[in-house]
Amino acid sequence: MLMCRDLADIASDYIDGELTNRQNLSVKMHLMMCKHCRTFIGNLRASTDLLKVHASRQENEELIRKIDERVAEALGARKSESDGCK
Amino acid sequence: MDTSTHPDPQGSLIEDLKRGNSFAYKEAVREYSPGMLAVARFYLDHSSAEEIVQDCWVTVIDAIQKFEGRSGLKTWLHRIVANRCKNKLRSINREVATDFSESLDPELADRFNAKGRWDLPPKLKFHESADTLMENDALSGCLDKHLSALPETQRSALMLYEAHQHKSEDVCNILDINASNLRVLLHRARQKIFLMVETFQETGKC
Ligand SMILES: [Zn+2]
Repeated sequence: MLMCRDLADIASDYIDGELTNRQNLSVKMHLMMCKHCRTFIGNLRASTDLLKVHASRQENEELIRKIDERVAEALGARKSESDGCK
Repeated sequence: MDTSTHPDPQGSLIEDLKRGNSFAYKEAVREYSPGMLAVARFYLDHSSAEEIVQDCWVTVIDAIQKFEGRSGLKTWLHRIVANRCKNKLRSINREVATDFSESLDPELADRFNAKGRWDLPPKLKFHESADTLMENDALSGCLDKHLSALPETQRSALMLYEAHQHKSEDVCNILDINASNLRVLLHRARQKIFLMVETFQETGKC
């Protein structure tokens, strides 16, 4: 019998669809009977979504500017090298 | 990211990169650098990680000529970063130490009784959508704070998997960890975020 603690232990695997059919079924059965675990899974899933949104908004403007500069420099050096070969 | 609306946007980007097109580089740098930084942060401190990502782009200009497209461009770039980081760690004789033993967060584990039932169940449902929650600057700031407090390994795994949407297999390859360890890292990190949002919703405090 799957207990709440066991469910919490494998909750991310459940959310990501990484459980075996058998495990998946026992989680579903438990969720039907247990309100607390339903809330837990819902909230863990919401936390995961929150992270996705948050991470996609991370800004690295300063780093990107630096890389652009170095890439432009390297491309320029490469171009003048190949021009010299002609 | 949804690329299904374009036939093969990567193919033409790769061709442009091979030709040394500077606009293509700008586009690729913007698109792929955040993920590359997440990889580098798994191995190194922030400033060394930024340096490695910059250096990698310079080497990409030559290396891309040999890129055959067997893996996606993103995975290829991430592997270059990972290899460079591993070399650097080898040169300074340091290893990444991570604890993979427990998948349940200790704070969460304390909320169950001896029988394994909830003693302190989650009280509230997080009712708002992620987008609405993120409109809350205080919450967003709190999330930043907690993310930066996560062990680097958890954070990188989380970023690569959630934000840069790598398949588990790729994340394992890039970070040199096995699949079950990745599952532990992800679960530990998500629980931390869960606990943080819960506290925030209950108390309004970070
Ligand atoms: Zn339960």
